[in-house]
Amino acid sequence: MMSLIHIENLNKHFKILNRHPGLSGAIKDLFSNDYKLVRAVDGISYDIEPGEVVGYIGPNGAGKSTTIKMMTGILKPTSGQILVNGLVPYDNRIRQAQIMGVVFGQRTQLWWDLPVIESFRILKEIYRVDQKTFDSHMDLFNDLVGLGALYGQQVRTLSLGQRMLCDITASFLHNPQIVFLDEPTIGLDVSVKAKIRTVIKELNQMRQTTIILTTHDLGDVEALCQRIIIIDKGKILYDGDIKKVNALFGAYRTLKLQIDGYNESTLGQLEDKLMGHFGVENGISIASVEDHWTDVTIDQARTPLADVLSFVMGNFSVNDVRIVEIAMEQVVRKVYDGALG
Amino acid sequence: MRGYLAIVRGAIMSGIAYRAGFFFLILGNVLYLAVAYFLWKSIYQNTTVIHGLTFNDAYLYAAVGSTVFVLLKTYADWQISHDIADGTVSVYLSKPVDYQLYSLATSLGDVLMSTAIIATPTLVILILVFKVTFVLGPGLLLFPFSLILAFFLSFCFDYMTGLMAFYTESIWGISTSKEILISILAGALVPLQFYPEAIQKVLQVLPFQAIYYTPLMMITRPNQDWGTLLTSLGIQAFWVVILFICTRLFYSQAIKVLRVAGG
Repeated sequence: MMSLIHIENLNKHFKILNRHPGLSGAIKDLFSNDYKLVRAVDGISYDIEPGEVVGYIGPNGAGKSTTIKMMTGILKPTSGQILVNGLVPYDNRIRQAQIMGVVFGQRTQLWWDLPVIESFRILKEIYRVDQKTFDSHMDLFNDLVGLGALYGQQVRTLSLGQRMLCDITASFLHNPQIVFLDEPTIGLDVSVKAKIRTVIKELNQMRQTTIILTTHDLGDVEALCQRIIIIDKGKILYDGDIKKVNALFGAYRTLKLQIDGYNESTLGQLEDKLMGHFGVENGISIASVEDHWTDVTIDQARTPLADVLSFVMGNFSVNDVRIVEIAMEQVVRKVYDGALG
Repeated sequence: MRGYLAIVRGAIMSGIAYRAGFFFLILGNVLYLAVAYFLWKSIYQNTTVIHGLTFNDAYLYAAVGSTVFVLLKTYADWQISHDIADGTVSVYLSKPVDYQLYSLATSLGDVLMSTAIIATPTLVILILVFKVTFVLGPGLLLFPFSLILAFFLSFCFDYMTGLMAFYTESIWGISTSKEILISILAGALVPLQFYPEAIQKVLQVLPFQAIYYTPLMMITRPNQDWGTLLTSLGIQAFWVVILFICTRLFYSQAIKVLRVAGG
């Protein structure tokens, strides 16, 4: 039995003009032939089975959207093989689009000037959804996200969160086999994110829809995916069970400190004292400083965050404290450092 | 097909959402009708016939011309270049639709909308205020068909201009030049009879006159014989086929740029 999506040694290279700074640079660029080759996707391979929810993560410019555009047949690979449901996407774009749903988080597929319901009606005709299926899906979406209350509202007047809920449900309207969600939670606040995650999860469970989700937000991945593919600079760093990665970023928190009287030696002092108190193998790392903020990243599996915080507060004069979840960039750095060994 | 009809319907409804804009389009057109009236009046001060056209012929040509000009503006070029510049084109390409037909359907919706809202009041004003008389003849019957063919031609030019954005990203200059070039070469402002003989001969074999001159002659000179009228309709249809083939070829080239260079 063949996988739903089969990707083998896939490459996508772009030629990008080297831009020069300033007005004179811009004028120079008009006549420039100075291209550099960007390997947006650089030899990736994987298979995705029906019903999987795959988190496709990586920092900005990692090649996530480019891969999605190749899977949906919008972009043509430079080389390598890609089969979706046994067909080459870019040769069968219109046919393949019928079995796919796509949400590009930064754009909308809804008609900007029309009430929400009209976009659904147009999509119904485009995808040739029969009236009975349409009605039952609209009822379902109404139950899930209260879509009915938004029917009469012009899309331009929706909040970003409402619009995203509409966009996501719209991508499920024709009961596609695969739904691609490209940054569906970008720019949303925590409560809307939670709602969107619930909707995606329920739709996946109800329909067994295969979902490929790209995101910056590790919370999305934790909440939704069983499998995670980490990509950076066009290459796959990790492809496997979420549980292994979960331990990596789930337990980490970053303590951001603004220490009074900060100078060059502060970082060293902080490090010495922390190592002295908690021992060398403590899972604590001290890193970058921007505008006098010191980042202390803590593996809570080894040292409780509260202990570190109270120790620092007792030994340093601290002006301000923030606690943040680990960022995508730090996860990627840890993977590079062999954290998933 | 049903999908594209739904798109036409959506475009009409989107048009209605901007009804305030229509008021100004009508106002602008009425102002133009007034200016053109006095301009042609002064041109015809001492004569009754110029290049075989009476004042009524020439004014009717200019007045209907300006209205048709508003109607045939598909804005497909601006829409496409906008979609390409901000990447929305990916959204359309992820749907089971042909991008050109999608674009054609939205343009058709816009045009139907403006035909209903702009053409009707203009016609009333022309007859009641400017006392224009329409000559009756078979040309009037063929005018709607000629206008539809003209719409397809206008769309093809706008669409190809829009596709330039795949290469240049911005089409501001290209689109403005296209607009001026077509209005001159197609006889949108002045009847082609007013052009020098040699230029008229050249323009007759170019596709531009089929956009404005042909439908406008149907309405200002409707009492020509059926043979002449049907021939000009046939020439229009010929250009529609040729230009449609050109747009397909151009699209298949342009889309490669997107697919190879990235969206």
